[in-house]
Amino acid sequence: MRNIKKVIAATAAVATLVGLAACGGGSDNSSNQGDADNAELVFWGWDSGNSMKDIIKGFEKANPGITVKFNNTGTAEKTSTALSNAIAAGNGAPDVVMLEDPTVTQFAVTDGLVDLSEFGADKLADDFAAGPWNKLQYNNKPYALPIDSGPEMFFYNKAVFDKAGVDGESIKTWDDYYEAAKKIRATGSYITNLAGTSNDYQPFTAQVWQAGAQPWKVDGENITINMTKDAGMKKYIQFVQKLIDEDLVDTKTPNWSDDWNRELNDGTIASLTIGAWMPVNLMSGAPDQAGNWRVAQLPQWEEGQEVSAEDGGSALSVVKLSKNQAAAYKFVEYMTHGDGAQEMADTGTFPSLKKILQSDSFTDPTTEGNKKTNDYFGGQNVNEVLSEAAQRPTEKFQYLPYNPFAQSAYGDEVSKAYTKEITLEQALKNYGDKLAKQGEDQGYTVTVK
Amino acid sequence: MSEQTLGAASAQTGLLPEMTSRHTAQARINKHKADWRGWKFMWPFALVFVFVFIIPIVYAIFISFFKKQMIGGTKFVGFENYSRLFVDQQFWSSVWRVALFTIVQVPIMLFLAAAMALALDSMKLHGTKFFRISTFLPYAVPAVVSTMIWGFVYGAKYGLVGSFNDFFGTNLDVLAPDVLLAAIGNINTWEFTGYNMLIFYSSLSTIPHSLYEAASIDGASEWQIVKRIKLPELRGSLAITVIFSIIGSFQLFNEPSILQNMVPGNAITTYYTPNMYAYNLSFSGNQSNYAAALAITMAVITMAIAYAVQLRSMKEQMK
Repeated sequence: MRNIKKVIAATAAVATLVGLAACGGGSDNSSNQGDADNAELVFWGWDSGNSMKDIIKGFEKANPGITVKFNNTGTAEKTSTALSNAIAAGNGAPDVVMLEDPTVTQFAVTDGLVDLSEFGADKLADDFAAGPWNKLQYNNKPYALPIDSGPEMFFYNKAVFDKAGVDGESIKTWDDYYEAAKKIRATGSYITNLAGTSNDYQPFTAQVWQAGAQPWKVDGENITINMTKDAGMKKYIQFVQKLIDEDLVDTKTPNWSDDWNRELNDGTIASLTIGAWMPVNLMSGAPDQAGNWRVAQLPQWEEGQEVSAEDGGSALSVVKLSKNQAAAYKFVEYMTHGDGAQEMADTGTFPSLKKILQSDSFTDPTTEGNKKTNDYFGGQNVNEVLSEAAQRPTEKFQYLPYNPFAQSAYGDEVSKAYTKEITLEQALKNYGDKLAKQGEDQGYTVTVK
Repeated sequence: MSEQTLGAASAQTGLLPEMTSRHTAQARINKHKADWRGWKFMWPFALVFVFVFIIPIVYAIFISFFKKQMIGGTKFVGFENYSRLFVDQQFWSSVWRVALFTIVQVPIMLFLAAAMALALDSMKLHGTKFFRISTFLPYAVPAVVSTMIWGFVYGAKYGLVGSFNDFFGTNLDVLAPDVLLAAIGNINTWEFTGYNMLIFYSSLSTIPHSLYEAASIDGASEWQIVKRIKLPELRGSLAITVIFSIIGSFQLFNEPSILQNMVPGNAITTYYTPNMYAYNLSFSGNQSNYAAALAITMAVITMAIAYAVQLRSMKEQMK
């Protein structure tokens, strides 16, 4: 009996210490600006353009007092996991971190990132495309600056469309899309695949975003979830349910699976609505269709509209645990807004900076990179189309502070609508309930409509 | 597999106290002296063991009594995580799934392994060495790789199953939700039969040949030798392989996680097995405390089952 008491006492003591340590970690971050010209920065991120080394060299040359140590964390998921571990531990965190846009809110809410308006980043709003910029705000303050953007585009296989007698260029609304889907299905192909797995979560958010839906709203500690009664959601549900019921979409092939690439490559899947970063993936995943693919603006919900939405994208943030926040911001600014941004764009990143999107060299069909892409797209000037999409207006859209959960739960719940176990409305309702429960578990006050 | 070996090691140390109590008085006097000398050899292992095994377990138990929230921070909640787990349908559905998996897959795998070991030991086969290595080889292939290979084989559109369907005009889909667990069981059987076969085979090869000679002089048939000499010898290693296999199947993780994106629809949920559920809770659900409670509970369930099996086999050996 006495031993049990001792164990309880020891546990309580350790618990108190942990609690104290947690408090200590959170309170003394306000004055960590450090020397803006002299610092050794640690930078976590991934390097999809294989160009980070050169860009960092350029930065160090322009800022002789600052050195940057780049740690390649591989993937977005690994980076955010490592960052949340480092923040929980209270040390070992980098100064600058690359994050996928939807996870920025999560770290902003849990006080892991620095509000960049401290350094005047809020004044840069008009320099960036609206889509990526809007996603990185929390309480109307920027917590990251966008490196790239992913306006949702309509990619289609012209060869398959021609066979079905459909002109891809003429698809302006989702109603046109539905009519085209029927004709394409008659040839044996599918207009696209929709399987409701967790990999379809990003296209899902992009599509409902474009429909003006707000499936969830975050206001400080209050979350409102309105998965099925929101006007935009209703529009979306009705439309997709129709595609499922009439067997117009391939519900068996998840995005990014091996089958997916093969079906893109043999023409079974005739089009995709996905981010502007897709061309390079199509070129490697569907090499047999070279010359056949085209890109066009996303179909609209109402005729004559020009509404875009974002699918994917990444950004740079300054970590609150950093002792060199001023120098770290300098680096972030260089990479996203300064000379580094141009270098990133030159090595394949789809830019979010209006200056680059509007520049002649970006849409110049004679550059080596553009020529390769345009050849694959049958001579179309791809970047011209993409650049136009990136500069279209977007509605405000917010991700949940627990976005990774929202993504994995999407696969568990919503896929049931695509295997036809339940209706999409029911599946999304269950999904909303699950999101609400998670929100409550995380201490939010959740209202479900 | 490393967890399995450690698990088995700790299961075996459970036997030690009873054995030492049966030692003679002489041994008991020497015991005191031997203790510290033994530790000199033990400390490198003990140190690593404490750091990578004991401390993480204690830490997991410790954090399972807390709850970390995005709003409100970390607080002590006692047994709340455990009581929540008790009524968590997703958790129990995953436990029943691996239990069903264990009940069906383990006997099939061990039967095949024993049959192969007996065939090898019969000394009537040509190319024994080749056979032994080739059955063991799948175990040496990393689980991630072998799952990908099987995933490609299983594909109903572009895989081997797809080619089969094209050729015979059939409509097979081994990745359909109702047969998916069997498909995963097949991967596991392929991976671990050779490993278990080797354990059986090594215990068969400890039987002295004089026994066989004596048996054949007495006029025993080959089948009688198997039944009277070889099978009783296998009983001891059977207990070990059963325990390994139960622990292994309850920890099912690699195969379903890799297959997740290869299976049509979303038949493999994030809570398909207890381990996948724990992983997703802590890495995408921000609920590492609840995940720790889950891990501890699963460890207790697995240990209880392994202990029951061990107890039963010991009783049988006493007879």
